[in-house]
Amino acid sequence: MDVLNLAHGAFFAWGAYAGFAVLNALNGLGWVETGTLGQGILSVLLALLAALAIGGVLGLFLERVIIQRVYGDHLKQILITMGASMVLAEVIKVLWSPNNQTVLVPLSFTGSYDVMDVVINKFRVVAIVVGLAVYAGVMAVMQKTKLGIIIRAGVENREVVQTLGYNINRIFTGVFMAGAALAAVGGSMWGIFREQITPAMGDENLIFALIVVIIGGMGSVTGSFLGACMVGLAFNYVAYLVPKLALGANILIMVIILLIKPWGLMGREQ
Amino acid sequence: MTGQAPTPVQMERQRQRARRYTRPGFLIQLALLACLVAGPMLMPSFRVMDLVAKIMIFAVAVASFDIILGYTGIISFAHGMFFGLGAYSVALICHYSQPVQYHHLLLAGLLAALISAVVAVVISALSLRVKAIFFAMVTLAVAEFCHILGYQWSSLTKGEDGVSFKLPGVFNADWSGGSLWGTQINGRLLVYYLILVVAVLLFVGLVRFVRSPVGRVLKAIRDNEQRATALGYRVFRYRVLSTVFGSLVSSLCGALFAMWLSYVNPDTVLGTPLMLNILLMVIIGGLGTVYGGILGAAFIKIAETWLPDLQKLALSLWPKVEFMQRLAERWILLFGILYILSVLFFPKGVVGTLRDRAEVRRLRRLGRP
Amino acid sequence: MDLSVTATPLMETKDLCVRFGGHTAVDRVNLVVEPFTLKSIIGPNGAGKTTLFNLISGQYRPSGGGIFFKGQDITALDPPGRTALGIGRSFQLTNIFPSLTVLENVRLALQSREKIGLNFWRHYGSLSHLEDQAYHFLEMVLMAPRWAVPASTLTHGEQRKLEIAILLALEPELLLLDEPTAGMSLEEVPAILELIRQIKATGQRTILLVEHKFDMIMALSDSIAVLKEGRLICDDTPRAVAANPVVQEAYLGGGVKNA
Repeated sequence: MDVLNLAHGAFFAWGAYAGFAVLNALNGLGWVETGTLGQGILSVLLALLAALAIGGVLGLFLERVIIQRVYGDHLKQILITMGASMVLAEVIKVLWSPNNQTVLVPLSFTGSYDVMDVVINKFRVVAIVVGLAVYAGVMAVMQKTKLGIIIRAGVENREVVQTLGYNINRIFTGVFMAGAALAAVGGSMWGIFREQITPAMGDENLIFALIVVIIGGMGSVTGSFLGACMVGLAFNYVAYLVPKLALGANILIMVIILLIKPWGLMGREQ
Repeated sequence: MTGQAPTPVQMERQRQRARRYTRPGFLIQLALLACLVAGPMLMPSFRVMDLVAKIMIFAVAVASFDIILGYTGIISFAHGMFFGLGAYSVALICHYSQPVQYHHLLLAGLLAALISAVVAVVISALSLRVKAIFFAMVTLAVAEFCHILGYQWSSLTKGEDGVSFKLPGVFNADWSGGSLWGTQINGRLLVYYLILVVAVLLFVGLVRFVRSPVGRVLKAIRDNEQRATALGYRVFRYRVLSTVFGSLVSSLCGALFAMWLSYVNPDTVLGTPLMLNILLMVIIGGLGTVYGGILGAAFIKIAETWLPDLQKLALSLWPKVEFMQRLAERWILLFGILYILSVLFFPKGVVGTLRDRAEVRRLRRLGRP
Repeated sequence: MDLSVTATPLMETKDLCVRFGGHTAVDRVNLVVEPFTLKSIIGPNGAGKTTLFNLISGQYRPSGGGIFFKGQDITALDPPGRTALGIGRSFQLTNIFPSLTVLENVRLALQSREKIGLNFWRHYGSLSHLEDQAYHFLEMVLMAPRWAVPASTLTHGEQRKLEIAILLALEPELLLLDEPTAGMSLEEVPAILELIRQIKATGQRTILLVEHKFDMIMALSDSIAVLKEGRLICDDTPRAVAANPVVQEAYLGGGVKNA
């Protein structure tokens, strides 16, 4: 979309808090910590849905109120989404206190499977499945549908697409909302996986998202996928060997990629 | 050229030279300098001196950020990181050298300058070739990395606890040199004057930078990069130069800041809040004005000093409502909203708006022949 | 001027090609520009005129062939490097520094020529001689009264004149003018043509001009090169070009432009 949104991390955090709030509420009904398998699955689904909703609403609000005023001006986009990210993180602190929160997770989602002596965390499986589904979904929409073509054309030239009779503003709002909602779902999954959330989690994960996008190249979903794999693998291997240098290793990869391919792995030169 | 009737350009130049020392801007600067010098003598309050010292440091840091953001039109999220590099250089050298001596301070300053210059060259050489957006992202990632490093490399930086240290000789907080005209001469006061001298020098350096040939080219590049290239300017070099220069000044500001506090920790000198503060200050003062840094820093620092009182107010107004107290505690939220509003509706800031007015007057005088 | 001497040409392209994807925009062009002459490049829209200019000024990298300036191979040189050698260009779309003053626009060109760009310790006030020179160039293009206003407030014709002043201030040996009258009102065109005529009359500059209005440059040019679909189909005196049947068919013939 050619919008640099530094508030993406904040959507991530908001999703996590929304999921956390839902799980807390459902625990009051006895669904989460003591519930049945069905109740557990349902509560996690509800948590993800809540995150999806809150991400969408925040995305809608941010796009309509702020970002629409600064299309085409990267500098202002960066400045203003940075501010929005700060405000959103502060609002989290006002609503839920600045301290860490423990996320309640249904029993059926904790623990792990044991497949041929390989221990696999259960929720990790869920995360991988959802992640692949999202990747496939985004790819399908962007490459195969008419909507995807309109979006890609709109990024190149708004006016032309507009004269063709498509309301590009509304479409872009939708894309932005979808991005925000996905970030929020990611955040809530992260919260359930880690069982710990903090208001600053958005910033921490934004760094990873940035590194992933820089490595992968902007505007390429496949590039992001590759970048995410590289970052994830490198982070975990190095974290295993020298825990403190894990993030440093990612920065190093980013630097090397930038040296060889300044536009990222799959990014196209402009 | 011909030596006879001076051209309008020459006449205007002579006019400007003649009123060089009577311009309102110059007189205000002079008055400000006098206040800064005489301040501690006239108003011996530590709270005020602390506030003024911080304003001076941040004014320079913000002005140096303005060189990068306002003049060069690129956004570096590593400005706070360079500030932190400078601060940690002083803190670590003073902390680990026993007994600490004057030349250690000098060494720390040189180290700060050297490290920040090298890091800035590497970062900008890597990412400025591509798009400005890339630079923003790379600097954000690297800055966050340094922040985490500050926490994790605890054998050197002592992690979250931070590093406290003592300054050498007369700058030491315990040193006392009697009193002069009723003012206590002590280490703090001397550090204040050291900060004053260095800050003024750095600020003059920044102003000179924008008024040098490079400053003019930067303006041109910001205006029309393609044309600047076709005129024969290698845009990339100018961007690197200005980024490095701005970052270097920022690290020296960090060094001064560390000296003033005699203490550093990762959150105060490397964290995102610092970067956001600098951003807010530069926006409020006005992008591309350099002098806006003074106003922005003064506004925010003064607000920061008084905003905690807001908390007491909230406590007395709604003693039972926890939500309101949390809200009052988060005055950064107010800054954030103010910041967004000023980016949207007041993009030129205070100084920029004033300058526009002056430009209108100038055009009225010269524009229509 | 003795044109019979076969000295090295000022600028020369050898088998110059550029391809964008599958499309060959400039196809094996061998163009020779003799010193102190005015050569025009004409051709229908999309013939590759501006692309050829972008290759000569260094904005594009060629896919094949080479560019030589005074016998020196400059194919690998970047645009600023070519400017430093003495190739200055104007753009088809007006290309100035809109928020800077008119004087400042010209002064930046002078500063580039004097190679004091990367100087950050010197105060601009000490460079007042550049201001005076810049004013002189503005006088040459009859823009002196407007020296103090921001360039964005100029009319379109004034901006084109300013652009020529900027170009002249670079004092290039080779001026590349890309449709200098593009987008101008009819009243403004003669002033620009007169300006080009004057520059040519000094006998110190070589001019390469892109234009698609044939009649406009007939009188002005020493020679005319015709481009069609990226190929150089003819390069001769204006009279010979006008008489050339291939050119007539490709470009002038019957008003049918699409080939």
